[in-house]
Amino acid sequence: METFVVPGTVESLGPIREFVRSKAAEAGLDKKRAYRLQLAVDEIASNIALHGYQEQGLAGDIAVQAEIGSDGLTITLVDSAVPYDPYSRVLPSDLDAPLQDRAIGGLGVYLAINNVDQFLYRFDDGHNHNIFVALRERESPSTAT
Amino acid sequence: MAFSLTSEARGRIAVITLIGELDASVAGQFRDAVEQAARADADRLVLDMTNLDYMASAGLRGLVFAKQKMGANVDIFVVGAHDAVFETIEMTGFHHSVFMLDIYDAAQIEAP
Repeated sequence: METFVVPGTVESLGPIREFVRSKAAEAGLDKKRAYRLQLAVDEIASNIALHGYQEQGLAGDIAVQAEIGSDGLTITLVDSAVPYDPYSRVLPSDLDAPLQDRAIGGLGVYLAINNVDQFLYRFDDGHNHNIFVALRERESPSTAT
Repeated sequence: MAFSLTSEARGRIAVITLIGELDASVAGQFRDAVEQAARADADRLVLDMTNLDYMASAGLRGLVFAKQKMGANVDIFVVGAHDAVFETIEMTGFHHSVFMLDIYDAAQIEAP
């Protein structure tokens, strides 16, 4: 497992995506899955930086852990901001509503949950753990003759 | 890749060209450009995403902000969004509220 530690601010979002991108390539995820994993991680990291740390007047780090397994890549974000379970967030139910009538919140968590194969949250040892699992595409049946 | 944008007024059409990666760290720049277009009384907004490599929900919130700031009857055209960006717009249902174009279609965008 490899860990990349950055300050919990929005300026770290680019470096976090870059780290996820390189691990995704190493894990053999295709471009589309790699992009979707980056998006999911980025959305939760944004929330940690803005709502978990900044709005609470707190400062702290985000540790990005990467673990390449036989079937894909698991990224875990660990932070010491206020406990926050993204699943407690009411997800937008107005996805078909015109934009002017939409609530502006909840989109990030919605995108995080829907862009990975598995998204898990746990609070452990005083830290938030947001866990993203992206599976490698199953090999298609060989067409070789 | 870093983010940059350029704004241009073509009569009452505001064109904002988004380049690079649009995330929460640069969302303020996008909102400022939308506010500027609203102040200039634009009645159409074109977002050129041809060279936008990445867009997080911060970009989607910019679209909501545009509708709310410029008025519900302002047409928004999203031009040239890459597959991945397109999918994000679609996944959240935003394609129902904006016009999605492959290229800048003057006949449609500039129609009186």
